[in-house]
Amino acid sequence: MEKPELIVRLKEIVGSEHVLSSDMDLELYSYDASLDRATPDAVVLPGSTEEVSKVVTLAYKEKIPFIGRGSGTNLTGGTIPIKGGIIIHFSRMNRILEIDIPNRTATVQPGVITLDLQTHVAKLGFIYAPDPASQKVSTLGGNFGENSGGPHCLKYGVTTNHILGAEVVLDDGTVIWTGGKAQNNPGYDLTGLLVGSEGTLVIATKLILKLIRAPEAVKTMLAIYNTIEDGANTVSAIIAEGIIPATLEMMDNKVIQAVEASVHAGYPLDAAAVLIIELDGMPDGMDKKAEKISEICNRHHVREIRLAKTESERAGLWAGRKGAFGAVARLRPSYMCCDGTVPRTRLPEALAKVMEVSKKYDVPIGNVFHAGDGNLHPLIMFDERDEEEKERVLKAGSEILKICADLGGTISGEHGVGIEKLKETRLIFCEQDLEFARQIKKAFDPMDLLNPGKMIPEPETTIKTMEF
Amino acid sequence: MTDLNNRCDELMAIVGPEHIRTGDGDVEQYAVDGMTPKAVVFPKDTQQVSDVVTCANLKSLAVIPFGSGTKMAAGHPPKRLDMVISTARLNRMVDVDTDNLTFTVEAGVKFRDIQARLATEEDRCYLPLEDLETETEAFICSERSHSGCFMPLDPPFATSATIGGILASNSTGPRRLLYGLPRDILTGIRFVTPDGAIVGTGGKTVKNVSGYDFSKLMIGSAGSLGVLCEMTLRLLPLPERMETILVSFDSFKNTSAFVEAILDAQLLPAAVEVMNKRAFEGFKNNKSDFVPGHYAVAVALETYGEAVDRMKLEMLGIAKDFEAEDSIVFSEDGHRLFWHSMGNLQASMADRFPGMITAKLNYQISDWKNIIQFTDDTLSSNLLEYTLLCHAGNGGCTINFLLDGDDTAASERAVSTIGLLLEQTCKANGNLVVQTAPTNLKKDLPLWGKPRFDFPVMERIKNQLDPKGIMSPGCFVGGL
Repeated sequence: MEKPELIVRLKEIVGSEHVLSSDMDLELYSYDASLDRATPDAVVLPGSTEEVSKVVTLAYKEKIPFIGRGSGTNLTGGTIPIKGGIIIHFSRMNRILEIDIPNRTATVQPGVITLDLQTHVAKLGFIYAPDPASQKVSTLGGNFGENSGGPHCLKYGVTTNHILGAEVVLDDGTVIWTGGKAQNNPGYDLTGLLVGSEGTLVIATKLILKLIRAPEAVKTMLAIYNTIEDGANTVSAIIAEGIIPATLEMMDNKVIQAVEASVHAGYPLDAAAVLIIELDGMPDGMDKKAEKISEICNRHHVREIRLAKTESERAGLWAGRKGAFGAVARLRPSYMCCDGTVPRTRLPEALAKVMEVSKKYDVPIGNVFHAGDGNLHPLIMFDERDEEEKERVLKAGSEILKICADLGGTISGEHGVGIEKLKETRLIFCEQDLEFARQIKKAFDPMDLLNPGKMIPEPETTIKTMEF
Repeated sequence: MTDLNNRCDELMAIVGPEHIRTGDGDVEQYAVDGMTPKAVVFPKDTQQVSDVVTCANLKSLAVIPFGSGTKMAAGHPPKRLDMVISTARLNRMVDVDTDNLTFTVEAGVKFRDIQARLATEEDRCYLPLEDLETETEAFICSERSHSGCFMPLDPPFATSATIGGILASNSTGPRRLLYGLPRDILTGIRFVTPDGAIVGTGGKTVKNVSGYDFSKLMIGSAGSLGVLCEMTLRLLPLPERMETILVSFDSFKNTSAFVEAILDAQLLPAAVEVMNKRAFEGFKNNKSDFVPGHYAVAVALETYGEAVDRMKLEMLGIAKDFEAEDSIVFSEDGHRLFWHSMGNLQASMADRFPGMITAKLNYQISDWKNIIQFTDDTLSSNLLEYTLLCHAGNGGCTINFLLDGDDTAASERAVSTIGLLLEQTCKANGNLVVQTAPTNLKKDLPLWGKPRFDFPVMERIKNQLDPKGIMSPGCFVGGL
């Protein structure tokens, strides 16, 4: 089908004001928070499941690729239309459809902003636990596609642990439900398979999310260290001692510097590392737990521990962490976030090796990450316009992922594979694993129309061997 | 059959002649719904499982994986059965990393041995170790990690079930209220696909989004997509204190009021289990003089001492407000034994009632009261004897229909009431699964409940991954 005709047909489905096709519009949908670029043929803004289904049916008949998209905050190129096609942008499908307190669920459209739902349910005394750093802009549909994490996932688990069901559109436009308000339905756990499938299997149009009672008490502390090793050792010691805090977040000196220059969270500029440790739950026994954590910090030469006494002090401690990525952008024009993850006990080793990589490729790396999960986020800072530097950054990023894989970890903790890590999937998967993934993809999408070219690399025979 | 005979030589070459059984008297105990396999193979590792399945696939031999056999009565009778693959020799604890709170284990390892391995120096364990030893008269893992961790699962059949079987059947217990489902605890898995490939995903990190999450697909797939071989699960530190409050009521009105009140309070019990009198009386080791009333509610408290004390105080106060008949508190050994007995209810009832049918209901949590009342009304008016255990706060309950098998009229009444229960659970957005039933009743029972909207996708997956239909053929949902 020629492009002008496609635009006409799409306009018939969603209304002409909800189809974008000018060069400038398409340019706006050619990038996300990753480093890649590619232009779609058209962008549609559907207003209902029915419209999504009709768009998909059209795409299926005409064999045109299509990609669901929220706010485009993903970091691995998940929403880049590398094979062109239609972007289905969910900005209009942004309603909270139902809050069902007796069943502890929220039913939402995929375009709802994560934080909007969280703010809404907080008023009712509940939480939706996954809290990606981009929660102010990210959508729940995007969180579903990427299986997003966040600081509180240490205790509460990631997005997949909080999605009970979904209404999804299949490759041919058929609409089905997977899962639902009741848990443990007989049959394959399709919801579990679909969360984190990066839009390559289905397009979600409604989500049923799990709500949890807000914890009765929260205790937040900041531990300040003179060496990064002491900070990292504290993290594995806390877990090994049998305490699972709600969060265990770490920032190194480079990030502290950046944060202080932008949000003034009050972190000491000369600290090598700070840890944000938060406990939540019933207040009974919490003091004892906090004391034990202080002991562990002291054993690992903590310089100072600050305890938030008020909600505003707590917000202050968190302000730095939440603003960290933005702050780092002040140091250099671009950064690449490597999302490698290691078993928690290997954290000190992994950090040391990351710093060696920084030296080896002469690229500045700041660390701000979910230490309790072993989920590193080395931010490699650079100038995108400098091709030579960019080359070094990509090599450094790849090497960091290899370090994580070699330490028994993985190449992505919460940001997905997209296109940016296609090559690195071979660090953790053999050809048989990838072939199984291809079969799953084929079962859902035999014509390879849903977000093609993502997540699963081409079979080995057709690509060059990797070099490290 | 000739195919299989020809293949047997190959199978013997793979696993060794002493690890394959084909003779009369050797294979009967591995029969599934009365269908006896022609061979039972005992591979020693994942590679051998792969070789065996590859061999079966070449000649389209039907294969069923088998652990301890506690879940084999579920599902449709197999369309055909050539070979059982036993996981008995896949029995290694591959990596016990208690500092990292992960445990990697082969599929044939028994759940009780995992918990025993994690016990402290003083043998403090999540399961009642001493009682297990006398109960099973089998060797229980004597090696200790001295970590004081546990695997946060509490499936039924804890004495004999294997971890592979628990995951393949998505077997859960009452304490999922606090700890979640197997899908929340499994971080990595390796399995052999129907074409014999060894496929793995995930690992020791609790966060992992590098590719499709196959582990979710394999949990509860009941041997229809492959043979689970190795898995990594999360651990938790043993709770500082473990106690149980058991309260009885004469009316359901008071029972449900008590339960709603404690679920609405900002307390964090590990389980809130409602049971009928018959269920309570069925627990083994039930030595206390507790008066069960018509209904009893057991609340598991597993956390810091201070929090346990507060919950106990508040909950016993609430019980009083709703005219509890009796109450009792169990700590540590008593607590472990109580929940263990509850998990063994189905097994001990099956011994006494050879015609027993077990139905597991799921529904949205707010409907639990309707479901229990409907069950009580319907089953009583049909003159059926039954035990009822309901995970309040989770939307699940298990009903054992206590049938001796000779009373065909009673069995028929049970079958028809199960149809009515299914209608109720469907109205509550849920479903029903028959976990065990005599083979002759299976054709009349909704073994996997009512197919849902997503069935066509399940069919696509099964056909894609197992086009020859060799893995547990016909046993799964919708005859997949």
